[in-house]
Amino acid sequence: MTQNFSRRGFLFATSAAGVSVILSTKAEAAGKQIVDLLNPNSPIIMPPNFMPSVWFTLESNGRTTIHIFKAEIGQHVGTAFAQIVAEQLCLNWENVDIDYPVMDSNTFEKYQGQLTGGSYSVHEMFDKLSRHAAIARVILLEAGADLMGSEVEDCKVADSRVIDTIFDQEISFSEILSETTINYEILQEDLENADLIQRQNFKVVGKSLPAIDIPEKLNGTARFGIDAYVPNMQYAKIIKPPTRLGAKIISVDDNAAKGVDGYIKTLSISFPDQAKHGGFITDVPVVIAKNYPAAMRAAQLVQVEWSTNENILVSSQTLMNDAKTLVEEKAEGVSYFSVGNFAALDKSTLNNQEADYQTSMVAHSPLEPANALARYVDKKLHVYSGHQGGPLLPSFLGMFTGIAPDQIIFHPHLVGGGFGKKFELEALILASIATLKTGEPVKLIFTREDDLAFAHPRTSTYQRLSASLDANNKIIGLKHEIAAGWIEFGETGMVKPVVNGTAQDTEERLQLFSLTGADHWYDIENTDVIAYRHRKLEAVVPVRAVRSVANNYTVFSLESFIDEIAHQTGKDPLDLRLSMLNGQGINAGGSDHDLHPLGIKPFWNVSPLQPSASINGGKRLANVLRIATGLANYGAKLLPENTAHGIAIAGAETRTNPSFSACVAEVHVDPASASVTINKITVAIDIGLIVNPDGAKAQVEGSILWGLSNCMFEKLTIQNGSVVETNFDKYKWQSIMNIPEIEIHIVENGIYPSGAGEPATSIVSPAIMNAIFNASGVRLRNLPLDRNELLSGL
Amino acid sequence: MAMLTVNGRSYFVEDAPDTPLLWVLRESMQLTGTKFGCGGGFCGCCTVHINGEAMRSCRIRLGDVEDAIITTIEGLDPGSNHPVQLAWEQEQVPQCGYCHSGQIMQAAALLADNADPTDDDIEITMRGNLCRCMTYIRVKNAIKVAVNIKKSGANL
Repeated sequence: MTQNFSRRGFLFATSAAGVSVILSTKAEAAGKQIVDLLNPNSPIIMPPNFMPSVWFTLESNGRTTIHIFKAEIGQHVGTAFAQIVAEQLCLNWENVDIDYPVMDSNTFEKYQGQLTGGSYSVHEMFDKLSRHAAIARVILLEAGADLMGSEVEDCKVADSRVIDTIFDQEISFSEILSETTINYEILQEDLENADLIQRQNFKVVGKSLPAIDIPEKLNGTARFGIDAYVPNMQYAKIIKPPTRLGAKIISVDDNAAKGVDGYIKTLSISFPDQAKHGGFITDVPVVIAKNYPAAMRAAQLVQVEWSTNENILVSSQTLMNDAKTLVEEKAEGVSYFSVGNFAALDKSTLNNQEADYQTSMVAHSPLEPANALARYVDKKLHVYSGHQGGPLLPSFLGMFTGIAPDQIIFHPHLVGGGFGKKFELEALILASIATLKTGEPVKLIFTREDDLAFAHPRTSTYQRLSASLDANNKIIGLKHEIAAGWIEFGETGMVKPVVNGTAQDTEERLQLFSLTGADHWYDIENTDVIAYRHRKLEAVVPVRAVRSVANNYTVFSLESFIDEIAHQTGKDPLDLRLSMLNGQGINAGGSDHDLHPLGIKPFWNVSPLQPSASINGGKRLANVLRIATGLANYGAKLLPENTAHGIAIAGAETRTNPSFSACVAEVHVDPASASVTINKITVAIDIGLIVNPDGAKAQVEGSILWGLSNCMFEKLTIQNGSVVETNFDKYKWQSIMNIPEIEIHIVENGIYPSGAGEPATSIVSPAIMNAIFNASGVRLRNLPLDRNELLSGL
Repeated sequence: MAMLTVNGRSYFVEDAPDTPLLWVLRESMQLTGTKFGCGGGFCGCCTVHINGEAMRSCRIRLGDVEDAIITTIEGLDPGSNHPVQLAWEQEQVPQCGYCHSGQIMQAAALLADNADPTDDDIEITMRGNLCRCMTYIRVKNAIKVAVNIKKSGANL
């Protein structure tokens, strides 16, 4: 490998220090001349950096900066990426920094995506970063050996230095880069031959290093989007429309607001109908003032006359009824995922079971509300915010502002909670338009009320599960019907139907992120997942990706139903699941389809060199289920009266990037009051190779409590086409009260990594509902938990 | 217009007396460590100390705190070495971190009042500080660690 590189002849230039190394043909590599302010005739030579790839830069002082294009949303992605690079580059961790570079219209192509979602970041980048860093290591090895006059074969790299093991001499990366200029950019064709350090020799990956982004989050110095600042900026607040979608501004009267000290003006911002497709933006008046309190005061005094669309003045209940109708009438159902032929089963000879489930809408509600600062200067639109889709912002904002994408610059900031909400564009579009109209920098902040009014919730769903059992009570057919609003991401996530593991060559496209999780890992000969797209709902509420997305409703209903079948047939739910988790057929994992599902690009760009993360899928699910039930003492523990275990499993986020998880909930139900106490939640999760165990554990902890919150509290409701809940006094979610005991086991098996940030959310609700049944005999089929429904069943 | 004492320094600000303290801190003083979460006192992101008590700065009028001693996350400890901050780092509490200025200020006020809080004390005191990343398990653990750090510091 090394000799390959030697033959290629990496280009080393001689630096001012004058040590002759391998030739350089490029003069500019030797350091850029810059003006000395005190002596303009004697230019200063700026020391050149070694930037062998777009992912990291080594300075001559030995420091390495890893460039993070993913959004920091609390997952400590910068730390994980830095660990991956440090491992293969053999860096001393003390020498590692991260930064969050500016993004422009070239970023998406140049960095191949870099959107932040789907628990994809480590899965997407582990192989890429490893290979680039490994090649950079070999280049430094050759340069160091050359400087020492050593044979490359005698040298090794460790701790940010090249060591000649025969002659017992060494040279640090800092010394190498001070004495030479290395001018080489890694090529795509180099990657295949990267000399990767293998897992058994890892020193940095697999260690629970403290997160690089945490210290600044402890003393107020962290800069979130809402903290962005430029001098003389004005502040903007929106006036929320009377309905979530479809309201148009007829007139704006700001006379009463003119008396507010600091009030500047109100912009009436309207968009053509085609711009409103998908609910990314609506017509909104924007109040501008010298400070935000003045904008808030003025906004209360501005009178807006609206027109609304009568067709969307509906309620959540109406939309749920419509969803049920979709399932009942079976019109326009499309098969998303099938194995065998469920429809062809002769049901008359089989034991057929059926159950319906409903799930509510859930709001993202990150604690940092939507916000953006925008300024237009020197014919460039600069936008400052925290956003999960940074590399796409130049093109998206270009569409809504009329500014050419190559004149749009995005300055990423920390994200104060993402969960999918920070893919949304309203605040960035409106701040951009406001600065273009006023000529002044404008910082637009949503109040909590605005943020909830502009909800992009998880869709509500109506689902029907049907199973057919043979004479031996074996499930030979399973049908999962899902009526749900689909996420509008353009072409992104629109996949072809999959039959027996193969994408079909049809015109049909289905939204993967609205259906994932129903494509389960159970060995059932005949499975069919039928999707009914709830377009009426989409016209009322622009539903989108909320943490773990469809898994939260598909896994809830599927895992509840599996328990129901177990009870119907007198089997233990654990035994029934294990009997179907043998990794047969497509459930062996590792298929091309799992790795590169058609249609998913360009959202994520896994490299062709990347191994599968789904290998042994079904068996890994069985394994985590055995671990979780073992840890929880399932079936063996002496539980008090009205207390029981319930279990559930999932392969979330998707079959492309599956993390195999199992949950045991220990739940007490008070039969008199229907009060539910969650005593303990045990989760075992297999995410393959783990970069930072404590960081992964933190993500699983958060995921479990997010799932608990969804199960026990969260319900966004619509009345007259508008979001009912205005603030956290009405939209309730988990606080620090009544947190159950949590036990987490993370399986480390070295298989290519999948995501940690979301997958464990989806298994909590079904495990709790199954435990409630075991403790009380009452089957709850609706999310969130409705205590009155439980009480009436008791 | 008002005179304010924040983090041991005196400030003169031009905001109207009915301006929420939160926005005075964030905009007029550029002390942006104190965060806006809900504006209704429901989430605790904007928690600061006023005369030693943890209070929601979004619900406090500027005109009411002119004579008060105000401490924000930036002024909690000159070297960011308050036992609560040290414990938060040791336990790697923050994820996105947005709520943690408020969490830390609330926990610091708790420890000032109660050298040995029980689990119930912790839950009751911290229940108004929401965390959407759901770092509650670590918040609880870190408060117990902070108690020990504080005790061991006192013994030195």
